[in-house]
Amino acid sequence: MIQLDQVFKSFGGFAALDGVSLSIAEGELVALLGPSGSGKTTLLRIIAGLEFPDTGSVLFDGGDLTRATARDRRVGFVFQHYALFRHMTVFDNVAFGLTVRSRATRPGKAEIAERVHRLLHLVQLDGLAYRYPSQLSGGQRQRVALARALAIEPRMLLLDEPFGALDARVRKELRRWLRRLHDDLKITGVFVTHDQEEALEVADRVVVMNRGRVEQVGTPSEIYDQPATPFVYQFLGNVNAINCRITGGVARAGELTLPAPKLAYLGDSKAVAFLRPHDIAIEPSLAGQGTPAVIRYLSVLGALVRIEAEVGDQLLDIEITRQRLAELQLKIGQVVLLAPRNPRFFLEDDGEAVIPDASI
Amino acid sequence: MKPSLTEAPWARYALTAAALAIVLLFLALPLFVVFSEALAKGVAVYGRALSDPDTLSAIRLTLTVAAIAVPFNLVFGVAAAWCVAKFDFPGKSILVSLIDLPFSVSPVVSGLVYVLLFGAQGWFGPWLAAHHLQVIFAVPGIVLATVFVTFPFVARELIPLMEEQGTDEEEAAVVLGAGPWQVFFRVTLPNIKWGLLYGVLLCNARAMGEFGAVSVVSGHIRGLTVTTPLQVEILYNEYNFTAAFAVASLLALLGLVTLVAKSVVEWRFGGELAANRRH
Repeated sequence: MIQLDQVFKSFGGFAALDGVSLSIAEGELVALLGPSGSGKTTLLRIIAGLEFPDTGSVLFDGGDLTRATARDRRVGFVFQHYALFRHMTVFDNVAFGLTVRSRATRPGKAEIAERVHRLLHLVQLDGLAYRYPSQLSGGQRQRVALARALAIEPRMLLLDEPFGALDARVRKELRRWLRRLHDDLKITGVFVTHDQEEALEVADRVVVMNRGRVEQVGTPSEIYDQPATPFVYQFLGNVNAINCRITGGVARAGELTLPAPKLAYLGDSKAVAFLRPHDIAIEPSLAGQGTPAVIRYLSVLGALVRIEAEVGDQLLDIEITRQRLAELQLKIGQVVLLAPRNPRFFLEDDGEAVIPDASI
Repeated sequence: MKPSLTEAPWARYALTAAALAIVLLFLALPLFVVFSEALAKGVAVYGRALSDPDTLSAIRLTLTVAAIAVPFNLVFGVAAAWCVAKFDFPGKSILVSLIDLPFSVSPVVSGLVYVLLFGAQGWFGPWLAAHHLQVIFAVPGIVLATVFVTFPFVARELIPLMEEQGTDEEEAAVVLGAGPWQVFFRVTLPNIKWGLLYGVLLCNARAMGEFGAVSVVSGHIRGLTVTTPLQVEILYNEYNFTAAFAVASLLALLGLVTLVAKSVVEWRFGGELAANRRH
């Protein structure tokens, strides 16, 4: 169990972490997700003891380790560029954490060898023990780094952009493999990523960060389905952000109207409505209910179809399945009716701050 | 099709020949002259010239000075490079300029500075005299001057190398539980060893061959404060050409050995650098 309490950290006037509190339970795999400069790597390094907070505290299992060095924390850290010791073989890299121990706690040579080979087997690198890092592929280096981190039997595993430097295919494979490995080892893990797909697929819980603050913490489905802030909405997947006015439980943006019955208590107020592209249904017959729109763009991306439809002076992104497209027989320039589902409103307070509010 | 950046064949040959001629005339020929003059009167005379007590003492002094100055600059060069490459602190650029200072100052001036500091009329002169310590016109002065002149070699060699390597591997070692000395000896040092050896070779060659700064602080006391290069000068000024060239041939030999060792290291070190870039 790791607890971070009101952690602040600045680098020469730039607030990298602006009051972050977070707790990570035993055995959980947590993703720190955010754009570059959001403070996620700094947070990871503070957990590892490679950086120290200006104020705030870091607790491991209730014990205050805020000032403890990385050496004393016994965490496994996988660096973004792996940081393998280039002059050592794979075997020596993995054995390093054991061979640097004091004589009293160091396992015997045979035991070290046995543990290293067991770890190399675990990361599927049997037979590569006597290679040097420069003789390995990116994915192999990644797994050596992981084996090296696991060799010290860490109380948690920290990974900085673990898949960032790999090509797309290897990345997909490795992240499923990491998830399985985590399920087998049941080790507490925290990884940093800027890739929302990666975070949602691999993690038990996702911490969305922006400008040194935590925007939202939740399970992948909570984060995706109920974003707490406009930032989270926009960072996780494509979304239509529509400026509107709400009166009497109905939001209006030009010709587009969105029902907002839960906000019926509000007087006339400005808000931003967020609509996922797959939450807009298209009705080809103009007899039904909905907002008239003109199809301006159609593009088939594998199983999905991306459509841009014009409502008044607004362009909306819409996603439908290929099968639905075949049923609808849509053409560019055609006039259709749009029926939005599940809009989510954020009220504009003084034009700047946006307060989240219940969706319908 | 003719590659646009290739000269006509005659131009290439002419340029190569000109370069070769210059190398032969100004580099190879003097080297040949040194050895041929040294051995002009036969091996026996050569041997006698080298076994002269003053010459032997000069060689001994040179080796002693190098044996003090080179390890000193090894330790402080590594420390300075470590500071500069791995940490950020105010005044870092001033430190880097200071490291370069001995390269930009004439060796004679550096020798004079030591005379002004430690000589009988110098700042610390009276204090040293009161404690019966002699620096100028004695071995400590020669060591100091040599250390000063050869300081940049190791540090200059290591700073770009260590900057390129960054601190990731050191951080990885710390997270894995390594203490500061373990980090240094098991991670940092192996990564810089070829660059370090290269710097030490250059430092050693300069330490043994330094003339200007040492000449100012030495006092030329035969058998006591005369180093090998100074001995060459003394012998030459006494019209003892064979002996002068014999001693000079030792320095030339040192130069050749350094050159070969340097090429070997460059060959190894170049490979390591390329390997680093593949990372």
